[in-house]
Formats: sequence, C-alpha cells, structure tokens
Amino acid sequence: MAETNNANIDDAVLVDQCRLGYPAAMERLVLKYQDRLYNVIRKICTNPDDAAELTQETFVKVLENIDKFQARSSFYTWLFRIAVNLTISYCQRRAKFSTSSLSADDDEHDHHAKQQLQQFLNDDSSPDPAAIAQNRELCRLALDALMGLDDAHRTIIVLRDIEGMTYAQIARVLNIELGTVRSRLSRARSSLRQVMETMCNEGQSKNR
Amino acid sequence: MKVNPKIDELLNSFIDGELPPRQQTEVQRLVAHDPAIAGRLRQLKKCRLLLTSLPSAHAPAVLSRNIIAALERKTLLGEPPSSIEQLAGERQLFVRKLLAAAAIIALVAVLSVVIYNIVAPPTTPAPPAIATRHLPPLPEPAIALPTTRPAQFAGRLELGTDSFIQVDASVSKAIAENDSVDCTSLTRQPDRAEYILACSRKGLASLLADLETVWDKLDSATLLVYTDTFGRQIAVNAVTADQILQIAGQDSLERSIRVAKDFAALNNIVELLPGKDILTAIDAAAPDLITTTKIPKPTLTGWSKTIKKPTSQLKTDAKVSLAITVVADK
Repeated sequence: MAETNNANIDDAVLVDQCRLGYPAAMERLVLKYQDRLYNVIRKICTNPDDAAELTQETFVKVLENIDKFQARSSFYTWLFRIAVNLTISYCQRRAKFSTSSLSADDDEHDHHAKQQLQQFLNDDSSPDPAAIAQNRELCRLALDALMGLDDAHRTIIVLRDIEGMTYAQIARVLNIELGTVRSRLSRARSSLRQVMETMCNEGQSKNR
Repeated sequence: MKVNPKIDELLNSFIDGELPPRQQTEVQRLVAHDPAIAGRLRQLKKCRLLLTSLPSAHAPAVLSRNIIAALERKTLLGEPPSSIEQLAGERQLFVRKLLAAAAIIALVAVLSVVIYNIVAPPTTPAPPAIATRHLPPLPEPAIALPTTRPAQFAGRLELGTDSFIQVDASVSKAIAENDSVDCTSLTRQPDRAEYILACSRKGLASLLADLETVWDKLDSATLLVYTDTFGRQIAVNAVTADQILQIAGQDSLERSIRVAKDFAALNNIVELLPGKDILTAIDAAAPDLITTTKIPKPTLTGWSKTIKKPTSQLKTDAKVSLAITVVADK
C-alpha cells in the first residue's frame, strides 16, 4: 500500500534529487524529518545525547544508501524503519550493561506527582492536552512508565501515540503483520496502564 | 475489572480509528449498553491522551549541520560507514586475518623443522667420500679395541717395510726407552709385530721422536683413527709423524677425527696426482722451473725433525691408546 499524499510526493522528488547528489535536497530531507525522528528515538531510548547520535547515524545511513531505496514503501516508513532498528539494537546493547529503575526519587515531590497521576487515571473528565503537557511531573511519570515497558511494547506505543503512525505504517516499519500490530499495541497499552497503577500504589503505600 | 484481550483489541482499534465503519458502529452500540466496557474505553482513552499530550522533543540545532558534515567527510575521505553491522564485519575480518597469520606461522615452523632435519649434519659424522674412495679395503683389525675407550684418542699405526727386522728392533727399543709409554701387549710373528701401547700425549711425542730413524726405512705408514661408531675408522695413508702428533693432540675426539680426515684427503690427493712422475722428469730437465710450484709430498719424506721432545704445551693428562703394527712387505 503506497501512500500518495503530498508529503510523500515531495519525498519522492527530494529522494530523486538526493540520488543525483544535490546537497540542498539532502539538507531539506534532514530538516523535514529530524525533529520527528529525534522525538521518536528520544522517547524510546530516553537519553538525549544518545538520541541525537542515533538520529545522526540514521540520516547518514539513509543518505549513503539512498540509491538502494526502491520506493516499494514510502521514504517515511523506510526512514523510520532504519531508525527503529538502530535504536532497538542500541537499547539491547545498553540493557546488557545497565539496569533501569522506574523512579529514582521518592521524595515528597515525587509522591505529589503520583497522586496527580492517580487522580488523572481515575477521573472521568477529559482534561485539556495542553494542560497535561504543561504538567511536567505528570509527563515525567508517564515517560517513566513508558520506560518500564519492554522494547517492543514501548516502540509500538511511541510509533502510534507519539509519532501518530497508522497501523499499516507501523506494520511496515516493524515488518510485522497488521493483526500483530493490533494485538501487540493492545497488550502494550494494557501493560502501560498496569505500570502506571503500580507506580500510584507504591506512592500510596509509602505515604501510609 | 477483568480485562478481555479481544475486547481490548477492539477498543484500542476503535479509539485509533482503525476499525471499518460497520465494526465501529458495533463498538459504539456495545459501549452504550455495557458500563464496564465503557469504563475500560475511558481508561484506554485517558492513557492514550496522556501519551499524545507529552511534549515533543526537538532535535539539536546542529544536527543537520553535523549530518551534512559527516556525509562530506565520508565522501571526501572515503571512510566506510561505521554502522554496527560493519563494525561486526570488521571484527570478523580481523579475527580471520589473525587466524590466517597464526596458520602461516605454524606452517613455517613445521617446514623449518622438516628442512632442519634434512639439512642439519647428523650427530655421528660419516667418513667423507674423499677419504675412503681411493683407499684399499681396510683389513680387519688385528687387535681388539680396548674395553675401556681412552679419553680422547685411539688408533692403530701400520708400518710396512722391507727391513722388517731393523724397523721392529727400532720400535721395540724406542718403546723400551720411554718410561712414559706402557706396552700392554706384544705379539710377534716372523713377518709381523704388534705393540699395543697406552701413554699420554707427552709419551707419544717422545716415542715418535725416538722413532726418528725408522721413517726412512718404511714403504708405507697408515694411521687408523677409531671413531665413536664401532667398526668405522679414518684411514690416513702415508701419514707422517708430525701428522700423527697433530691428530692425537686435539682437544676432543671429534676434532681428532676431523683433522684425520683432512690429512687423509690431502695425502690421497698428493698420492693420486698424475704429475708425480712428470714432475720428476721436469725436475730433472729444468730444476729451477718447478722449484717454486712443486707440491711437497707428505708421504715418507723422511724424518723432518719437526718432532721434538715433549714440551709443556702438550696436555699430559690426555690418554692415547695406540697399536703399532710392523709388517714385512712381501
């Protein structure tokens, strides 16, 4: 299934120009996708320096191998496929040498954030997304909960909920079936909810 | 609430807008009639809302410049991309090169050992062809080797003469007059006398000095030098007294054998020189012509007075075992 929106048409033109060696086209491709790519990688691997390096490595690899791109899928999914593969490889290597914890600080400040998270999850109202984004403590806990997932679940949630990919795009990026996307995404969200509830319960038990 | 995975999948697809219109309507009807499912849908939506509301991280401002610079550097320098796969490949290539080098070194070592075994001289020196090729078949040793080998030199001196009685008397007298020479065995027959002697080098030198007059009466003088290999001897034909002393005076048996071979080769070459008679003729016709080129014959040229009574230079502690056989020529 090939995407035929305007962005991909532009991508095809830029890719052709890159193949001819136009530096301006390369720079335009980088500028077009660098923020989105960096954001996805940053949400998967969390470390900003590593995310910047992985983003750079992804673009260098893509532009070096631009002649091998056969346009059977969109440039967008090809780019993110390479980025996700590099990032997951990096995460797997890092996991061998380090252990991560969900939360490092358990002070009063952290307890207050967990209370906010519990209130958010139990409240039936629909808060304003902008207000959520401004609540740094809540966002930090959400990212911590995201890091509590395994690589596959974290990646599929990031691609869907943060990058906003369709299921079909996710299937192409991760090279899996569409049904697998549905089931894996469902399990990943369920796990994320459990991690968040566990964090809230830990906050409550320490408060007592 | 008990979570049904199938319902969860359906609800997640619903909130993501990934359901066909007919299934979407069914989910809406299900949610409207089941409060538990409606509650689960709210949970999933809140969770998704939290994630979609997270602020986006922006790439560093220098990222695009770094990417272009990295590409230019690789293009200009021809650097290979340093991806994880390529690093692994380089590592594998390095290991292969290392193994190949180790295999080559091992092969060279094995070949060196083989070549050394082929080229290296054997520990037991074989008699040189030049020393034995032109020699007549050696007679069986008339005497047995001493049961205990002397320290450094053992041999037999065979003297052939027409004046058997005179030579035998001279030898017998010389042995008797040298106190440092022990005659351990004497066998005398009408045409053959055999003396088995044990002495030091000093005693040998003294004995040879006393045999000064004997050499003029000899037709042949052969020294057999025994080697480490039983039954193998070095035969030095036309040996002189000086040569005997040099051979017996070496520091080790190996050196004595080597010197004996050299003298054997030298004496055989001189004996076989075709110009021996011609030289005599030329000498008679034009004595001055060959004065400077004549090769001195080492054999039976008479006592050259080079043998002196023993000096302190000789090692007196070195034992010599020598059998002297005087044989009458027929």
